Amino acid sequence: MDNSRAFGQALRSGNRFDASTANRPVLVLDDVHKAYRPDAAVLRGLNLEIARGEFVFITGPSGAGKSTLLRLLYAAEEVDSGRILFLGREIGRLSKASIPFLRRNVGVVFQDFKLVENWSVFDNVALPLEVLSLPDRLIRQRVGEALERVGLSGRGEDRAGVLSGGEQQRVGIARAIVGEPALVLADEPTGNLDPQLAQDILGLFEDIHETGVTVLFATHDRSLLDIRPRRVVVLDDGKATDALEGLDTIAHPNPQKVA
Amino acid sequence: MSPIDRAWRAAKNEWHLHALSVFSVAVAFVCLASALLIVVNIQSVQTRWQATGRASVYLKANVERSQIADLEKALRATAGVTSLKYVSSEDARSQILGTSGNESLTALPVEAFPASLDLELTSDAATTRLAKMAEQLTALPAVEAVETYQAWSNSLGKVLTGGLAAAVVLALVVLGAVVSVVSSTMRLALQRRRREVEVLKLVGASDDYVTRPFLIEGCAQGGLGAGAALALLGVLYGIVKSHFDMSLGALLGVTPTFLPWTMSLFLIVLGALLGVSAAYLSLRRFLLA
Repeated sequence: MDNSRAFGQALRSGNRFDASTANRPVLVLDDVHKAYRPDAAVLRGLNLEIARGEFVFITGPSGAGKSTLLRLLYAAEEVDSGRILFLGREIGRLSKASIPFLRRNVGVVFQDFKLVENWSVFDNVALPLEVLSLPDRLIRQRVGEALERVGLSGRGEDRAGVLSGGEQQRVGIARAIVGEPALVLADEPTGNLDPQLAQDILGLFEDIHETGVTVLFATHDRSLLDIRPRRVVVLDDGKATDALEGLDTIAHPNPQKVA
Repeated sequence: MSPIDRAWRAAKNEWHLHALSVFSVAVAFVCLASALLIVVNIQSVQTRWQATGRASVYLKANVERSQIADLEKALRATAGVTSLKYVSSEDARSQILGTSGNESLTALPVEAFPASLDLELTSDAATTRLAKMAEQLTALPAVEAVETYQAWSNSLGKVLTGGLAAAVVLALVVLGAVVSVVSSTMRLALQRRRREVEVLKLVGASDDYVTRPFLIEGCAQGGLGAGAALALLGVLYGIVKSHFDMSLGALLGVTPTFLPWTMSLFLIVLGALLGVSAAYLSLRRFLLA
């Protein structure tokens, strides 16, 4: 079975229940190394396991490798050594033609929103569904639902470029969830927003998580980690440490691990 | 949304960029189409002259009238000869002087204008038998020389060969120009739509999905550019023809014609193919990068 079919069957909602995939971690990173220059490794033997349905904060100082980690997960970068398993399948061994199928099952939200500013909100959100060549009627319905979930009902015709920063980030989130992915990656999604907006956006991710979606939320904003008790993974010196296991690596007052 | 819809959306958003590209392609194609138009018309003149066999049989000065009558009789009986006209020395002199009015020519004696028999032949005879007939006629004692106007046809043939060579060179220049213009437009479009391409790839679009609208845009730019060039050339041709039709027709012996529809269609298809190829090359470099 090729990877594209495998991802589709394993992740799409509405498929038959498969006990083996239900118990399998969504993500396993096994001794992952990544360096952009030979003398400056970003990740040095990173090990991490993310269970299905977890909400995990990835934190650490600037340059710790948070963004690199996420880029490896949606195959924008390749590991130098080690393995990343997404639902048991190794991302590094995917063919170039299979990478789009991986990305259709992973929603990504960025700090700079990455919207096409001269398009309408609707067109931006509809993009992941258009790639799947879904019927227009279904696209309209699902985009409407996604916009409602992020609080932008009725704003589909607005041009994305004229929205406020918070609204643009909501559009970015709607785009990430409209395809109903199993995994949502958020790369500093509140980095360009004021504290109140940042909390609102975090609330949206929690709502998404409530529906069973696995969320990896990369942030260096420690104030967000206090709002809800979530698993916190600290990236430092190219390695990952769960905050409970490495309190001395982060000056965090009350980290808790959620099973 | 189909690739055509996506290409149309991009064209509307970046209409000025696409319009500039179509205009540049059109300028390049006007050069090529003009050269082809000249070649087509020279070729039609040459074909007309080759197909309409004409010959002037110049007679010696001391030829008897009975010899001329025998010769006329023999030529009229020859297969392929459609008309025959005797032009006396006086008639030839008045024809020449009537059109030139040159004083030096007026001073020439009537003997300087030899009498002749002007023949017209069918197309078949002109192409297959004219040379042989000229050879046979030249051997007759009453005949001084035979002019078949082959030299004119040969000269036109040389002009035509030169015109074709010029058209080939122009075609190469146009090819380069169109590829360059469409490639530049595509690179610029890709630069301006870098975010769109980036997002498309992030949400799982395949390379084919990303490239299809750009290929359609390149195809449309090339085809529309060539079409616009033909339309512009058609208008210019119409203006020129409306002013010079009579004199040109009389001078060349044929009515000027525009490019045949097959050639026009070929130019549009060529434009579209060049456009799509240039777009593909630019995209390949971009996607590989």
